[in-house]
Amino acid sequence: MIKTVKASLSEKILFIFLICLAIFALSSFFILKNKCLFVDKADLKKINFKDKENIAVMNIECGNVVIELYPDISPNAVQRFKTLINQKSYDGSAFYKVVENTLIQAGDLEFGNKEYLDYSKIGSGKSGLGLLESELSDEFEFTEGSVGFARTTEFNTEDSEFFITLKEIPIYQGEYTPLGKVIYGLEILRKIKTGNKAIYVLRPDYINTFRMLNSN
Amino acid sequence: MRILILFILCFNFSCVNADEIYNLLKIPNLEIYKLKNNNKIRYLNAKADFAMGVDNNITCNKTGQNNLEDKFITVEKNLNLYNAKFLNKINLKYIVLCENLFVSEINTGGIPDVKKRTLILDINFNQKYFERMIHHEIFHMIQNSFKNNFNENEFSSLNDVSFNYAECSTCSDRLNLDLYLNTNGFLTEYSKSVPSEDMAEIFSFLMTDQNKINEIIKNDEILLNKINFVKSGLMMIDENIL
Repeated sequence: MIKTVKASLSEKILFIFLICLAIFALSSFFILKNKCLFVDKADLKKINFKDKENIAVMNIECGNVVIELYPDISPNAVQRFKTLINQKSYDGSAFYKVVENTLIQAGDLEFGNKEYLDYSKIGSGKSGLGLLESELSDEFEFTEGSVGFARTTEFNTEDSEFFITLKEIPIYQGEYTPLGKVIYGLEILRKIKTGNKAIYVLRPDYINTFRMLNSN
Repeated sequence: MRILILFILCFNFSCVNADEIYNLLKIPNLEIYKLKNNNKIRYLNAKADFAMGVDNNITCNKTGQNNLEDKFITVEKNLNLYNAKFLNKINLKYIVLCENLFVSEINTGGIPDVKKRTLILDINFNQKYFERMIHHEIFHMIQNSFKNNFNENEFSSLNDVSFNYAECSTCSDRLNLDLYLNTNGFLTEYSKSVPSEDMAEIFSFLMTDQNKINEIIKNDEILLNKINFVKSGLMMIDENIL
């Protein structure tokens, strides 16, 4: 004869606790996987921009990043940047160089695009518009959210690649051509995939779209 | 094949040190020591040992805090002899301070790099010659930036016709840096290695002990001509540097 054993109160509590733990673990897995969950998203229609001609909006996985461009500081560089944005050249561009909480870099139009990513050549691609002369400023400070044109180890080699600083980098002052500053979306940029302890990122995040505000 | 390339890239990428200074100078493990200076020179120091160059043939150790503070006074004092305009002309903006600098296992005082506008200095270099070494290395930056001002053949022709320099600076045993008692056209034994080192030695003495040099050249015509050659090259860059 089989004797029915009733669960004690403590066993019931333990059972319920384990069920709750399993639910919590499962839900956490799905919630934490979504890196954009707790990121504020800007409603561009609610923001009152002073100089709409010089506002660019970069859409990436976690939302919109709003950048104010400074043509007064670097007229030629900003002109080139706007040209490439208007040509939609940056759409699909990879953030292939990311230093965690320090800087992100994208804009290799030849070898760093979602459609064609060549790990062996990335960082050496050209826009086809030619190289620009560096427009250096001793006044522009590379504070958090500064946007600059990337270059090789030599000056006057700016083309299409750009970087955004995620912290103040005083050593960059007078070294790189300034393009502008992020006025909204720094937290969004911090969610971009890093290369762990390496500077280059394998299977990087991409720019979805990059547009001037007045073209939207 | 793709998997193999990916694997190799993974390995290579993980070897790159990820920081903003590396991104700029391509030298790993550096930190800012002093950024704001009147002549716009920027001082960095090694926060950890580093290796760089072809096959990592350039190595240097991290700086100890006390040693760095101590030697920095000397480094800064000597760099302050140059104005911002001159330093900009000779492409010198960054001074990297580290300890025990080696190139291909040969101990060296400094490594100038005009392209990166950087001069790496070994703060553990023999203190007897330390200040002179700084100017010696700066001369290499001057010469590399203004090659036409310091034509080596022209300079060599000022020596006695029977004298020949070595093939390279490290392929001779003429390494002593002490000032000769009897100069005979050369300030130190190292001056006899190659023309560029000879000029750098002259420049280093001009920057640190010009009175002594003025005394010596009264009785050494060859040296007088060589010094005038270096001076005229410098005058074309900056009239007030000496």
